[in-house]
Amino acid sequence: MALSTHREEDFLLKVNNLKTVFVTEDSEVTAVDDVSFTLNRGETLGIVGESGSGKSVTALSIMKLIPNPPGKIVGGQILFNSPTKGIIDLVSLKEREMLYERGNEIAMIFQEPMTSLNPVYTCGNQVMESILLHRKVSWQEAKRITIDLFKKVELPRAESIFNAYPHEISGGQKQRVMIAMAMSCNPSLLIADEPTTALDVTVQARILDMMRHLRDENDMSIIFITHDLGVVAEIADKVAVMYRGKIVEIGDTFDIFNTPQHPYTKSLLACRPRLDIKLKVLPVASDFMNVDMEGVITEKSTEQKYSSVGEALLLNFTDDEEIHERNAYLASQPPILEVQNLKMYFPIKKGLFGKSKEVVKAVDDVSFVVYPGETIGLVGESGCGKTTLGRAILRLIEPTDGQIIFDGRNITHIKKEELRKLRKDVQIIFQDPYSSLNPRMTIGEAILEPMRVNKIYENDFQRKKHTIELLEKVNLSKKHFERYPHEFSGGQRQRIAIARALALNPKFIICDESVSALDVSVQAQVLNLLNSLKEEFNFTYIFISHDLSVVKFMSDRIIVMNKGKIEEIGYAEDIYKSPKTEYTQRLISSIPKGNLEDIRRAQLKRKIKF
Amino acid sequence: MLQYIIRRMLYGTLVLLGAVVVVFFIFNVLPGDPVSMLAGTRTDVAKRDEIARDLGLYEPLHRQLYLYLRDLSPVSVHENTPEEREKYEYLPLLTWGKNVIVLKMPYLRRSYQNNRRVSEIIWENMEGTFWLALAAMLFATIFGMTIGIIASLKYNTTLDHAMVSLSVIGISSPPYVIGTLMAMIFGYYLSNITGLNITGHLWDLDDNGNKVLVLKNIILPAITLGLRPLAIIVQLTRSSMLDVLSQDYIRTARAKGLHYYTIVVKHALKNALNPVITAVSGWLASLMAGAFFVEVIFGWKGLGTVTIDAINNLDFPIVMGVTIFVAFSFIIINILVDLLYALVDPRVRVK
Repeated sequence: MALSTHREEDFLLKVNNLKTVFVTEDSEVTAVDDVSFTLNRGETLGIVGESGSGKSVTALSIMKLIPNPPGKIVGGQILFNSPTKGIIDLVSLKEREMLYERGNEIAMIFQEPMTSLNPVYTCGNQVMESILLHRKVSWQEAKRITIDLFKKVELPRAESIFNAYPHEISGGQKQRVMIAMAMSCNPSLLIADEPTTALDVTVQARILDMMRHLRDENDMSIIFITHDLGVVAEIADKVAVMYRGKIVEIGDTFDIFNTPQHPYTKSLLACRPRLDIKLKVLPVASDFMNVDMEGVITEKSTEQKYSSVGEALLLNFTDDEEIHERNAYLASQPPILEVQNLKMYFPIKKGLFGKSKEVVKAVDDVSFVVYPGETIGLVGESGCGKTTLGRAILRLIEPTDGQIIFDGRNITHIKKEELRKLRKDVQIIFQDPYSSLNPRMTIGEAILEPMRVNKIYENDFQRKKHTIELLEKVNLSKKHFERYPHEFSGGQRQRIAIARALALNPKFIICDESVSALDVSVQAQVLNLLNSLKEEFNFTYIFISHDLSVVKFMSDRIIVMNKGKIEEIGYAEDIYKSPKTEYTQRLISSIPKGNLEDIRRAQLKRKIKF
Repeated sequence: MLQYIIRRMLYGTLVLLGAVVVVFFIFNVLPGDPVSMLAGTRTDVAKRDEIARDLGLYEPLHRQLYLYLRDLSPVSVHENTPEEREKYEYLPLLTWGKNVIVLKMPYLRRSYQNNRRVSEIIWENMEGTFWLALAAMLFATIFGMTIGIIASLKYNTTLDHAMVSLSVIGISSPPYVIGTLMAMIFGYYLSNITGLNITGHLWDLDDNGNKVLVLKNIILPAITLGLRPLAIIVQLTRSSMLDVLSQDYIRTARAKGLHYYTIVVKHALKNALNPVITAVSGWLASLMAGAFFVEVIFGWKGLGTVTIDAINNLDFPIVMGVTIFVAFSFIIINILVDLLYALVDPRVRVK
């Protein structure tokens, strides 16, 4: 609608009925199923969907980087309007000619800046490689271009980063190097596959800003892939929503946000934790739609559940009075956990005989209390010490100094035997559900083991019975007992990890970025589960996350950490409505909000340019 | 980095000290009479007594250990007498009274069989072993890595399976079997075609009694010795390459439009090297210990032959000397390898 002024032949990329399959010995999975879209010059298309929806495979198909075997493009056309070669079909293009396009006219940025750069070459070398390959310039010239690019992507000290190895710079800087690499040959099309997902919100905001700027400056088209609708709203002109390999809805960004048609799009919009209001339960995909065995989606009838995003939110709203009442009740109890002047230092530089010379102050003089039944949100950018603090409370690492008082008892220096008893009461749920479960242990065993170690119940028969109860608590079933972790999805694994934490009947649970690795829709399910368990068992949570909207949804009170120190502590609503420190203000303003007014304004601004 | 090297050297010295002490005690509990070995059977009691005193056999064990350590230490205190001077060939640093602090080559004592200095014997025979080990490892590394890379690029094809199967055979066949077969087939039955001998050393004497280099003699023993490390390097390179090729930065390199072989050689190989370096250095060090069977089978003059000979004759100083020398080579090679790691992988440099 917005860009209909373009003529038909103005397109840059036209994907027609693309179909990509992955063939294994006994099955064939269609990862991209009959996908079609058109991208005009200078336009930005956002592709949104959960993991496994085929959005990355679509991108890799355009680059023809599908790992083969097992992947293969089996049908369709990818027409690319090359500035030098005219309209070409990438699907039938020879590999030798594809090498010319890759990195030159079509460039790509990947999700994981940490692992996407080669660790044994300097950043400068890796960017120059691309320039020397595609542009006929001398070594000196290439170096000059590279340093210019580094300046353009706002890298500090461009010359020294030129000579730095990837492990010597931060994640955000690595992603900037990746962007510089992608921009090095002035591509007409930039494909960005979740470029900001692994980064902190403040860094994400700055990178998005820079990408917008580069796009407008170079008249470049972007395909921006993400699972976060909020991010899409910040940058895209058009949005395509993918689900199970198909584009279920495609349209103008404003229209998608304003009048979503497909139930899946509605659920995606509704399940994002919001900053403005506090919901009791997050709406999830199954509130909007049914998926039958063949993967056919049908919208739920109005009587069954919500018919629109607005309705889903209104029915769940918690008003201020309820919040106040709850906060007053919580604070009237004696605290369950007191942390006093906790310090956690790590030595970094070692002298000749292993004596430490310098220390990193990961947690620096932190004090706070937690009341029973409360959820404390611990939020901050990566490296702020929030994870270290969580581990120190659990005594997984020995604090350097300070006191930890749990349930009236000083646990800062208790011995091993008592520590084991403590671990019964305090449990942790880790970030990565993929690596925190032993791949060689059935999930039943994994949940049962802590009970056996702590001698809960008399024999394995009873323990097994309890394990099955726990599995049912987290919406899994008896039949899952004998299965291995690799048979489960990320969300299921995280629920298994929750069941394992529950096995010892703890009072206190530390959730360390427990939903960060999950898709928004799955994240909503897990958050709801955590909340309902809390009501059932009266748990106390410390909820650690870098995602402020998630923390806001979960927490009664919030601690904002920065560089090992507490920046601000207060009730969740207060922190968001009137942040006191400049750091908190910046954190909050960096969150992509996806509200309609902002989108409309951004779109109008873009249209004037066209 | 320099600090790191110094620390590694200090640790190395400690390891060496431990090795010396262990070796000393092991050889003290072994049976055998060094005095009879040295003096032969037809000597008088006085002569035997003198030899025993010279070897320090009348001293208590801890004093014997002290004397042995003093002999080995490059800096030590000795009596300032002409006998001592001749025995240790030392360089005096500081004299006071009867004693002198000296700088010397470690004194490994003398062979019981022919009374020659052990260090001299090791030095003479080390060359053969060194060249043999080096040739074997070069053969193993070059072919092993090439085959490993090819196997990883042809992952899950017949060629890959064949190479992996062959390498399993290589790992599981003992060198004395391979050695005997190689010597029989290529050195005897096919010697008309190959022109190789069953036995022979790197240096030979020609008709005029001059030393000549016979390079072809190294071929069979080196291949025999290198076969096993080769098989292991194939597997290591292959699995390491497979791991690296599935990394995100390889995808990045492909997205740049680089040619596949450039990616393999420039981006993948350097990352895949670490485990291979570990294996190569470990093998090189243990081959320096002398490849006993192979040296004996091919009549190669090296540390292996000397050691077996010494063991047969209960010539303990040689066996002890070789053991300590091997420990020393291990430590040196390990320090060199650590430097090599840092060269290949910048992430190691920080630590």
